[in-house]
Amino acid sequence: MRLFRVLAPLALLATLSGMDLRAQDPALKETFQQAKALWGIQGDNPGASAKFEQILGALEPKGKTLEGEWLQMLCETYNWLAILDDRSATKKPRAQKDLEALLELNPDFDMDRIITNARLQGVFEALRSSRLVRVKLALDPEGGILAVDGRPRQSAALKFLPPGNHKLTYAKTGYQSAEQQVDLSLKEPKSLEMKLTRVSSTVSLCTSPAGIEVLLDGKSLGTSVGIAAPELRPMAEKAGVRLEELSAPFVVGDLPAGRHTLELRAPCFRTRRIELDPSYATPFADHTLEAYKLDASRGLLTVSTAGPGGELLLSGKPYGPVPVKDLQLCSGSYDLQVRFPAGGFTERVEVPDGKSVQVNARPKVRMLYLGCEGSDDFAGRERMLRLLASFGERLKTVAFMLPAKGETPQEALTRIRTTKEAELTLTVRPRSGKPIHEIELVVSTLQGEEDRSVVKPLEQDPLAALAARLNRLPRLWEPWVGLNLLDLPGEIGPWVLRADETALRAGIKTSRAITQVNGKPVTSVMAFRKALAEAPGERIALAQGEAPIQLPVTQQALELPLNASDLCYPFVLAELRLRYLGAKGDEAGLLRLNQALALMHFRLFGPAMEVLRDARMTGTKGVSQGTLDYYTGVCLLRLGNVYADIASQSFNQALKYPQATLFGPEGPFVAPLARQALEDLKP
Amino acid sequence: MHLPLSRIRSASLALAVCLALGAQDGDIAERLFQSGERAYGAKSYPEALETWGQLLQQAPKSPFCAQALLRMARYQLEVERKSEAALPLLERIKTEHIKTSWAAEAMLLRGQILASQARKAQDLREAVGEFNRVVDLFPDQPAVLPAHYHLGLAARLQGQWARALKHFTEALRLDPTSPIAPMAQLQMGDLLDVMGDLQGCLLLLQGIRTQFPQSPEAQEAEWRIAVRVKHRIQKPTLKSEGPWPQGRAKGWLKTPTLLATGPKGELFIYQDDLDRAFVLQGSELAPAGAASKSAKAMTVTAAGVPWLVSAKVGITREEGATPLLLASLTAPNGAFLDGWQNLWVSDAKVACITLVAADGTSRSLPSPTATAMAALPTGGAVLASDANRSLLFLDAAGQPRLTVPYSKDLPASVKYVLALCADATGHVAAIVDGDYEGVVLWGPDGSLLRHATFKALGLNGKFRAIALDHQGGIVLADRSNDLLIRLN
Repeated sequence: MRLFRVLAPLALLATLSGMDLRAQDPALKETFQQAKALWGIQGDNPGASAKFEQILGALEPKGKTLEGEWLQMLCETYNWLAILDDRSATKKPRAQKDLEALLELNPDFDMDRIITNARLQGVFEALRSSRLVRVKLALDPEGGILAVDGRPRQSAALKFLPPGNHKLTYAKTGYQSAEQQVDLSLKEPKSLEMKLTRVSSTVSLCTSPAGIEVLLDGKSLGTSVGIAAPELRPMAEKAGVRLEELSAPFVVGDLPAGRHTLELRAPCFRTRRIELDPSYATPFADHTLEAYKLDASRGLLTVSTAGPGGELLLSGKPYGPVPVKDLQLCSGSYDLQVRFPAGGFTERVEVPDGKSVQVNARPKVRMLYLGCEGSDDFAGRERMLRLLASFGERLKTVAFMLPAKGETPQEALTRIRTTKEAELTLTVRPRSGKPIHEIELVVSTLQGEEDRSVVKPLEQDPLAALAARLNRLPRLWEPWVGLNLLDLPGEIGPWVLRADETALRAGIKTSRAITQVNGKPVTSVMAFRKALAEAPGERIALAQGEAPIQLPVTQQALELPLNASDLCYPFVLAELRLRYLGAKGDEAGLLRLNQALALMHFRLFGPAMEVLRDARMTGTKGVSQGTLDYYTGVCLLRLGNVYADIASQSFNQALKYPQATLFGPEGPFVAPLARQALEDLKP
Repeated sequence: MHLPLSRIRSASLALAVCLALGAQDGDIAERLFQSGERAYGAKSYPEALETWGQLLQQAPKSPFCAQALLRMARYQLEVERKSEAALPLLERIKTEHIKTSWAAEAMLLRGQILASQARKAQDLREAVGEFNRVVDLFPDQPAVLPAHYHLGLAARLQGQWARALKHFTEALRLDPTSPIAPMAQLQMGDLLDVMGDLQGCLLLLQGIRTQFPQSPEAQEAEWRIAVRVKHRIQKPTLKSEGPWPQGRAKGWLKTPTLLATGPKGELFIYQDDLDRAFVLQGSELAPAGAASKSAKAMTVTAAGVPWLVSAKVGITREEGATPLLLASLTAPNGAFLDGWQNLWVSDAKVACITLVAADGTSRSLPSPTATAMAALPTGGAVLASDANRSLLFLDAAGQPRLTVPYSKDLPASVKYVLALCADATGHVAAIVDGDYEGVVLWGPDGSLLRHATFKALGLNGKFRAIALDHQGGIVLADRSNDLLIRLN
C-alpha cells in the first residue's frame, strides 16, 4: 500500500489541473490546431488570424474565470494574435493590446520564443516590467494550495505580482497553513519563502465507483468525486477496474494519533471498513492507500396482496403492478407504497444485502381529515387542530391524509367524492353552547355512515379514544383445532368436552384433559387459546398425558358485534369493503356477512339485505350458510311485514343447517332462534 | 319533605343568579340541572330535589327537565326505596319528553320497576311493552341492550325459553363486552340446558369464564359447569366422604331435619331441637332467619334468608315479621319461592299445592298429594308422590310436564321418597326407601344419573334431609346421629 504514497501529490495536481476540462466546447481545440497549421504549414496568415479570432470570441468573455487548459489556450491565442497583428500593417497597433490583454490574463505567462520574434518579446517584457514586480517564491513542501489576496491559484508557481501590498497564503493538508504579507515596488524583484510545519498525517484513497461516502471513525468526511488521473492507471489495474471507474484521490487529513477506522459506504454497495493502525498517524506522513472497489449490495423484494389493481411505488418510483416476485433492489430502506383503486398501503421496508423480503400489502382504509366545520371558536381550538394534524402518526390501520392547503371542509369533501382517493372522512364539529367546550369528531364513510364521538378539546388526550377505536380491527377468524374445552375443577388442563372427527381420528380422547400444547404445559382454556393463537405453522401438537398428537389448525369464522363501544363502525365497514375486493369463496361470504352486520349497526337493513343476497358460504358448521340465512330473515323482518313471507323462507332455510351457530364456532345454534322467529311470524 | 331554609335559599340564589346574568332559558335550565347534580352528588338530596323542581317550573320544555325527572325517579327508587313514587316521574318523561334520549332510560327504568312488581304473567305485559318501546323507538340508545336483557328475563319468567334465548342473544350480539353480556350469557347457558342442549350450555358458560374471568357470573358458571359435567357426563360412582364438614363428629348438630342450599351455595340446616335454621360457614354454624317451631319445610330466598314452614307456626319469613298462618297447612313437606315471589307449599295431607303470594293471599294448584317438593330452574317444581311412586315435573303454571317412576332404571323398587331436593341446574336428588334404600340423582329430563344404596355407601342412620351442593356433592342430614354426611 505504501508504494502508492508517492503518487499522492501527482494525483492531487492532476485533479486540480483537470478540473475544468469539460467546461468548454471541445471543438475549440480543433480550431486552435487548425489555426496553428494554417500559419505554420500553409502560411495563411489571414486564415490563421480568423481562426484565432474565433477562439478569442469564444474564450475572451470568460477571461479570468477560465482555468487550466482553456486559460492556457486563451493566453497562447493572444500570443499568436500579437505575432500576426504585428506582421500586418493594418493591425500592427493591435499587437500591443494583445500583449496587454495577455499580461492582464496571466502575468506569469512565458511567450513562445520560437515563434515570437525578439522585438515582440522585448515589448512584452518591457510591458511586464513596467507594470509588475518579479517575485521568486520558494514553497516547502510543494503541492499545496497558494492563495494571493484570498484568491486560490491553480498553480503554486508565482513569478510576477502587481506592486503594492499582498497577502499570500499557503496551505496543504497535513500541514499548518502559512500566511505572509508582502509590499512590492516596481523594479524591485523580491524573493519569498513559505515553509509549512507538518501537524498531521494524511491518507488518500481512490474508490470505484466515485460517489462513495468516506467516514473516519463514524464521522462523514465527504464523498469521493472525479476521475483518477492517468498516472493512477496502475492502481486501477491492480484493483481490477478501468481508470474511468476510479475516483480522483480522496484525501483524509488531520489524522489524529492512534488507531482509526475508515468506512466507505454508498447506497447499493456493500460497506467496506479499513483499519488504520497508529503508524498511519505518527510519524507524520502522506499515505496513499490502494484503490477500493465496492461490491454491489442487492436484495430481493416480493410484494403480495389480496387486493386487486395495486401499483407498486418504492420511495416514489413506480415499479408496476403488484403482485411482484423477487424484485432485485439495492439493499437499503424504501418507502413502499401500493396504490389500489380503493385503499392504499404504505410501509417502510428494509431490504438487507443478499436477503429476500416479503411484504403482504393489505390495502389500508384511507381517511381524509376535512377540517373544522363552521367558524365557531371553541376552547382549545388551536391545540385540537394541532393534535389532529399529527393524528396519522397514531393510526396503525388507517392511512391518514390532510386536506390540501386552503381547502375548506366542503371543498375537500367534494374533491374526495369525485376522486375517490379516500374511504373515510374525519370532521370536527363544534357543539352548540356558550362558550363551546365540546366538539364532535365525526368519522364518516363516503356513503354517509357516521360515527360521532363527543370530546372536550382541553382534556388530557381528546383523541385517545378515537385512535384506539380506529386501531382496532375486529377479528373475523380464530384458530381452531376442532375441540370444545372446559375448565373443570380438579383437572390439570382444559377438559375435552367434544372433538370433531379429525381430532378423534388423530387420537384425541373426550372427557380427558389436554396437558400440553407444543410441548408446553397448559392449565386452562384461556391458556390453551393463547397458545393456539401464538402457535406457528399449520399444525399443533397436543398431549393428553401421553404421546403428543398432531392436529391441523384451521380458521373458524366469527361475527362482529353490532354495537361494541370499542369499534368505529364506519372504519369497520370501509375495512370490510376493502377486504372484500379480491376475496373469494367462504372468505368473501364471511366478509359479506360482516358487512351486513356493520350495516345493521346503522340500521341500514335494506343495504344489509342487498349485501347478504350475494353472499354464500359452503360451510355448514359454526358461522356459515345457516347464519347467513338467519340474518337475511332478520333483515327482511326489519324491513316490514311486507317481507314476512320471504323472511319465513329465510328462517326455514336456516333450519336446514342445524350445526350453524351465531357469533363463532362455540356460539349458540341458529336453529332455535330461527324456530322462534318463525313462531313470532305466525299470525 | 321539609327543606331546611338555608337549602331553599341557596337554590333560590342559584336561580336568581341565573336570571340576573340574563342567561337564555337553555342556560338557566342547564345551570339549574348542574346545580342539582352537584347537590345530589354531595348527598344534599333536599337541595337537589328543590333545584330540579325549580328547573321543571322555570323551563318545563327544556331537555334538562327529562334528565332531572330521571334523577328524581332514581332518587325515589334508590334512596327512598319508593318505586311507586318513581313511576309518575318516569311517566312524565314519557309524555312530556318522549323526543329526548332520556325517555329511553325512563322507559327502561319504568319497565324494570313494573317487572319487579309483577306477580303473574299478565302483570308483565306493561313492563314488556316498555322494553319493546325502548328497542323500537330508541335503537341508537345504550338502553336497548339492557332492554333486550330484561325482555329475556320476562320471557324466561313466562316459560318462553326460545323467546328468552332470542333476547339474550340480541343483548350479547349488540356488545359482547358490555357488563350485561356475562349476565345474558349465563341466562343463555341455563336456557340451552332447559331446552336440551347441554353441550351448548356448557360452552356458553365456559365462554363467561374465558371472557369475563373476574365477573360474579364466571363464579356462577364455574359451579354450574362442574356439577353438570360431574352428574351428567362423568357420573362417578357415589361414595361417602363421611361426616361433613371434616372433623365434625356425631352429635354436633341438634336433630337436623331440613337442608337447603342458598344462592351462593351455602348450606342451611334446620335443627329441630333448636327450632331454627343455621347457615354453615366453613365448619361453623351461624343462626340464620327467624326461629320457628317444628318446621317441616325450608326454602332460602335470593337474598339468602331462610323461610320456614310449620303447621303450627305458619310461614316464618324475615326476622321480626309476623309468621303467616295458613289454615290449609296441616302437614307441609316442601316449599320454594317462584319467580313471581309466590311461595309454593306442598302438604302431605292435601292434594294440592298452595301458592302464597307476597301479600299473604293464597290459591291452590291441583296436584297429587306430595311426599316432598323442590324447585326447578324452569320456574316449576318436582313433586314426589308416594301414592303414584313417581316424580312429577311441573311447569311454572303447575302443569305436569313429565312423570318419572321412582324405580325407573333402578335395580330395585323404590316405594317412598323420604326427602327431595333440586339444584339451580335442574338436578333432582332424593333419599329413597323401599326395596332400594339409598340416594338417587335424576337429571332435569328425569333420566337416572347416579344412585347408591346406603349399604353400598356404608352408611347407617336416619337420613331425613338432602341437599345438592355447588361442588357436585350430595349432603345428607342424619337426625339420629346428629351429623351431616357428604357423598361425592
